[in-house]
Amino acid sequence: MGRLLLIARLAGRDLRRRPAEAALLLLAITAATTTLTLGLVMHGVAGDPYQRTREASAGPDVVASVMPDPVTGAPADPAVLTELSGADEIAASSGPFPVAGTTVEVGGRTADVQAVGRPAEPADVDRPIVTDGEWLGGGDGVVVEAAFADALGIEAGDTVTLGGESVEVAGIAVTAAMTPYPAASCLVVCTPITINGEPVRDMAVDVLEEPGLIWVGESMATSLAADPDDLAYVSYLRLDDPDAAQAFADARIPNGPMDAMLEPWPHIYEQVTHIERNAQRVLLTGAWLLGILAVASVAVLVGGRMADQTRRVGLLKAVGGTPGLVAAVLLAEYVLVALVAAAAGLVAGGLTAPAITDRAAGLLGGAATPSLTAATVATVTAVALGVAVVATFVPAVRAARTSTVAALNDAARPPRRVGWLIALSARLPVAVLIAVRVAGRRPRRVALSIASMTVTVSGIVAALAANAELNTQLASDPDPRMERLGDVLAVITVTLVALAAVNTVVATWATVLDVRYSSAVTRALGATPAQLAAGLSLAQVLPAFLGAVLGSAGGPLLYDAVDQDDVVLPPAWWLVAVVVGVVVAVSALTVVPARLAARRPVAPMLQGELA
Amino acid sequence: MQQEVVLALLAKEPSHGYQLRARLRQALGPVGEAMNAGQVYVVLTRLEKAGLVTTESPAPATAKDTADRKTYALTAKGQHRVAEWLTEVSWPKPDLAEFHLKLVAAAAAGLADPLSIVDTQRRELLRRLREAQRAAMAEPDGSDAALLLEGIVLRLQADLRWLEACERSWTTRRSAP
Amino acid sequence: MSTTILSTRGLTKTYGDGESLVRAVDGVDLDVAAGETVAVMGPSGCGKSTLLHLVGGLDRPTAGEIHLAGRRVDQLTERTLARLRRTDVGFVFQAFHLMDELTVVENVELPALLAGRSPRAARARATELLRRVGLAAKAAALPTALSGGQRQRVAVARALSNEPVLVLADEPTGNLDSAATLDVLRLFEELHEAGQTLVIVTHDERIAATADRLISMRDGAFVDETRLTGGTSGRLGALAELEG
Ligand SMILES: Nc1ncnc2c1ncn2[C@@H]1O[C@H](COP(=O)(O)OP(=O)(O)O)[C@@H](O)[C@H]1O
Ligand SMILES: [Mg+2]
Repeated sequence: MGRLLLIARLAGRDLRRRPAEAALLLLAITAATTTLTLGLVMHGVAGDPYQRTREASAGPDVVASVMPDPVTGAPADPAVLTELSGADEIAASSGPFPVAGTTVEVGGRTADVQAVGRPAEPADVDRPIVTDGEWLGGGDGVVVEAAFADALGIEAGDTVTLGGESVEVAGIAVTAAMTPYPAASCLVVCTPITINGEPVRDMAVDVLEEPGLIWVGESMATSLAADPDDLAYVSYLRLDDPDAAQAFADARIPNGPMDAMLEPWPHIYEQVTHIERNAQRVLLTGAWLLGILAVASVAVLVGGRMADQTRRVGLLKAVGGTPGLVAAVLLAEYVLVALVAAAAGLVAGGLTAPAITDRAAGLLGGAATPSLTAATVATVTAVALGVAVVATFVPAVRAARTSTVAALNDAARPPRRVGWLIALSARLPVAVLIAVRVAGRRPRRVALSIASMTVTVSGIVAALAANAELNTQLASDPDPRMERLGDVLAVITVTLVALAAVNTVVATWATVLDVRYSSAVTRALGATPAQLAAGLSLAQVLPAFLGAVLGSAGGPLLYDAVDQDDVVLPPAWWLVAVVVGVVVAVSALTVVPARLAARRPVAPMLQGELA
Repeated sequence: MQQEVVLALLAKEPSHGYQLRARLRQALGPVGEAMNAGQVYVVLTRLEKAGLVTTESPAPATAKDTADRKTYALTAKGQHRVAEWLTEVSWPKPDLAEFHLKLVAAAAAGLADPLSIVDTQRRELLRRLREAQRAAMAEPDGSDAALLLEGIVLRLQADLRWLEACERSWTTRRSAP
Repeated sequence: MSTTILSTRGLTKTYGDGESLVRAVDGVDLDVAAGETVAVMGPSGCGKSTLLHLVGGLDRPTAGEIHLAGRRVDQLTERTLARLRRTDVGFVFQAFHLMDELTVVENVELPALLAGRSPRAARARATELLRRVGLAAKAAALPTALSGGQRQRVAVARALSNEPVLVLADEPTGNLDSAATLDVLRLFEELHEAGQTLVIVTHDERIAATADRLISMRDGAFVDETRLTGGTSGRLGALAELEG
């Protein structure tokens, strides 16, 4: 117990000694945990509410509908649906119910609706669940689909104008038989109708745009239609084997406009969860990228710190600390930071998740805040701890193993010698010579810089590609949920860039500290501050450039892995722009610390008794 | 020069006087340059008289080169004396007390400024140090003489440091009467 | 009459202010003739290193003038000072300050490369210098594999890389044992004989005694000057108590 207390006290004191570094560490790990939390929360959301709604509402396995021929205006024949209900595979069915296309007006807004005529008594298949108010009571009341009601601000008890008549809203309900507004499938004629890729403009019937769903009494449905011939019909079918729904539909692909259109439930499910799953994939990938960046940043921070800490380690050991104790103190520091970061990430992720996953109240539980499950909390915490442990383990063990005497003498990590680089650099201009030699002293840090920049640029390029595709989709099919996916991409990209910037500054700072002594010597030997500053800056820019080149090759691959659709490769000039941007950004970020380091007075450094 | 030194040089084997002189010169290097050529023979004669050394003259001896042609050898008593000498722990002591008293007396009587005495002495020691150091630098590494010179240099260095302490001490005494 | 390579007038460097004002160098007038070896001696903290840093352009004086090789250098920009250090001055430090990741020859050629010499010329010069300091065989070794005396000889070779008019050495034997000190002194003597101008600050009497001129420094100011050339000779025997 006393031991634990000692470890905690030593660790805490060390963190307080360098608050800026501790804050940077916290920032890096928190960025990763937040994104991870978001990704995991999304994971829980996708799929789940639809299944619940489907079970609770006796959802259909197949939705069958017929509508008038949009070109000739020939009326729909409900007998087609009745005949379908008699098929061998059918276990139960409801309908056919009439469907009328019309408009609803509320609070000055007008929207198209498809009004489905339903009896007051519950049907065998598809019993929409009333979340507010009550179901059709045989009177003039209507029931509005929840997501649609939400979008228009309709509540139970409101009065709306339906097809020119004032009606009272009896209730709000959810159903598994149709994708929630605004992605509803069309039971009546919807835009855009295309034949052979050409939009059909001149149609015999009214065409609805992005219709909402309203349930009305059967007689009202008929009266809402301008002409009974304009009515469409819908039936809900339950099969003996729900898994056979797709096959059932595939076997009955319509041959003409008068045939029944079949929508199997997996298709609705796909529609409902498609965007969430995309967002989740993006978020999880983003979380991984950010996690890798966080590891890189933590590793550089820790590595730089350890070099500084050798003396402390020596002191700890000289007063009797075992290597185990020393390692424990160092690990405890980062574990502490990781735990705080995990908590911060869970809170931040939990708070932002609704903004991304909130896809209207179309399904049971859909409007509720996605909850943080124990599994999510455990995963995020484990990952944060993993980041801390992975990044600190090697340096901690190395520091703990350092001989006490060497540590007391503050024999910092000896620089590496990469002979061919040194020989090569002799042929280069002075600033590049300095840069190459500075970088060559710490090959592992350079590898880390390259890796971190590769990850960042891969992420940026993938996000750019995804965004471009999203924009083309949005242009043809505007959907607020898609826009939200774009926001998610933007958030991840910004976080990636921010974390990469933090990484760059941290790496520069670590390098400047690491080479402050040889910088002083180099200046004593006649290098100008400008040459030295350029060298220190270039030492970061060179690996960043390499990383950017690798990343712009890796980005499309990453995008390919995340998105199974066709990959639209970003144009080459984008990649060039990204690489140039990275070089400019890294130069800008490093120039200040490098210049400060290069202008520091030389004499005090050279006075040190020991090199 | 210590008689025992010459005695010990004879312990290896009976030798001619000039051989002894060469061995000395080799061991002393530039330090031995000031040594009078006759000094070894004076010592040898004394040792012979004391019965520590015997001589053997090759016949026929000529009057002229007697000293050089003689072979000297240790007697039993001489050998005993050498063994005794090797175990002795005597050490030459620099006479710091004299200089110290010189300063005290000069200051007390107001005859001279102790600081200027220190300064003059310092210059003298520095000159000697310079000379010894230059001789050491000229000596090849690992020669017997180099080792001796190193000793001389270190000794002078110690003396100079003591003079520095004297200077500090007398400066403060003067400024705070 | 030999030319003056270095001269300072009223050279002053202070640190801090008010109560905590430290006059590290306090009104120093120093003239060094071409080919001369000058030793500055004094206790630790008397301002020797500061003086050397001022003279070599590693630091700027608070007041006073410095003329180096006929040029006033106390008002130069940092950039010009860097060039000055590169071409006119060679530094030798107590802690050697070699770069551990560079081989001996790479260390020695570094100033020439920084001065923009071709890699070939720089290497040739470095090899020649290493031969001169007797370390040609160690050219490919890393400094960590050398003894202290050898490292300091490498540092001297490095200081000579750009044929400086003035070599400045700060406690060059401070980290060396007696034998290694002798090695370095021999090297300085060779430089001296070759006409190199040297300013050495030290508290080692041995170096001081071998210089042409010995300046004593106390609390930032020069208090005494001794010319050691000429004088007594043939007194070595007396030193060894051989006489009498
Ligand atoms: N950067 C500095 N800031 C404040 N004081 C300094 C600094 N450098 C040296 N000093 C002070 O100046 C004086 C002279 O220092 P220094 O030149 O290093 O002496 P020396 O080399 O003779 O030992 C000392 O008192 C030292 O404390
Ligand atoms: Mg000093």
